[in-house]
Amino acid sequence: MKAETINTHRGGMWSWLFQRITAVLLIVCLAIHLILTHIANIGQIDMENIGARLANHGLTAVDIILLAAGLYHALNGLRMVLMDYWFSTRSRALALTAGLWVVGLVFLGYGIWALWPWIG
Amino acid sequence: MAEITFRVKRQDPTDKKNPEARWEDYKVPFEGNLTVLEGLFYIQEQYDGSLSFRYCCRASICGSCAMYINGAYRLACQTNIKHLDIIHDAEPVVTVQPMPHVPLVKDLVCDMDDFFAKYEYIEPWLIRNSQDPEKEILQSPKDRKQIDMPIDCILCGCCYSSCPSVWGEENYLGPAALLKAYRFEVDSRDEARKERLPRWDNERGVYRCHTIRNCQEACPKELSPTEGIQWLKKAAVRRRLFGRMK
Repeated sequence: MKAETINTHRGGMWSWLFQRITAVLLIVCLAIHLILTHIANIGQIDMENIGARLANHGLTAVDIILLAAGLYHALNGLRMVLMDYWFSTRSRALALTAGLWVVGLVFLGYGIWALWPWIG
Repeated sequence: MAEITFRVKRQDPTDKKNPEARWEDYKVPFEGNLTVLEGLFYIQEQYDGSLSFRYCCRASICGSCAMYINGAYRLACQTNIKHLDIIHDAEPVVTVQPMPHVPLVKDLVCDMDDFFAKYEYIEPWLIRNSQDPEKEILQSPKDRKQIDMPIDCILCGCCYSSCPSVWGEENYLGPAALLKAYRFEVDSRDEARKERLPRWDNERGVYRCHTIRNCQEACPKELSPTEGIQWLKKAAVRRRLFGRMK
């Protein structure tokens, strides 16, 4: 180790801060999601029933926020773990971050696409 | 007079004939207040003068004799054998190893070069931008209380050796250097808030800490580097988003 190699990673504050913000969002949105799907609105799990619930745009928004926050929280957590191992150098860490963003956005896009019939 | 067995991990990586680590047992006479360091002196004087270990103050204030004793990070001079659990065993054995996860020089002596390079990187000294006052720089009792915890650090390296984030990333600053950064960031007399910030506000600084708290458990001075690091993370947000430099 040389002194000049110590600080080659800039940033980190946003990822730390968003990990906390998404944690709070997860608690709130997950609670709403679970209460509405499993406690308050018990019925047949079929397209009609789910469609009726998702017709409420507020609930659709909660589900999308839940998906986005869940993806960010999970993938950022995975990123922190992997950076402790092989992805510790700057170039590998950047590649990892970019790769995980692609994975996250693809899954988010897929989730929104699945909900699109009730959004559009 | 009873006897205690000292099981010491010996290794000389530069010895071409025998570079591997090995355990060696030594019988040491046990009297009331024998410390591990005194036991090591006895071994050096009576059995093997080549046994290597660091020590200096013998009063747990210099941090030189940090070792891994009976499965815990301890200062050899501070560790009174009668207070170890093994004292109740029929044949008590004190195991002494160098601090793990730190490069070895010989026997119980670790190579602390990286540790001190990182410590120096954080600029662990008081930095003033304004003109010095004619008398001493005054500090209120409340401000002084802020640095009560971090100034007790003796740089023994126990926290650094115990931190899994350090094991995984050789360039991570580690708990001791970051605790020292915290020590100056909360000091009302220091004026290098902006200059020091980029040194610890990055992913080889505070954000590499995953609050595992091994450092807190290992610290022979019972300090909490984790607490200091968490304070720094929040301070980074306050400073960079809201411009509050306190």
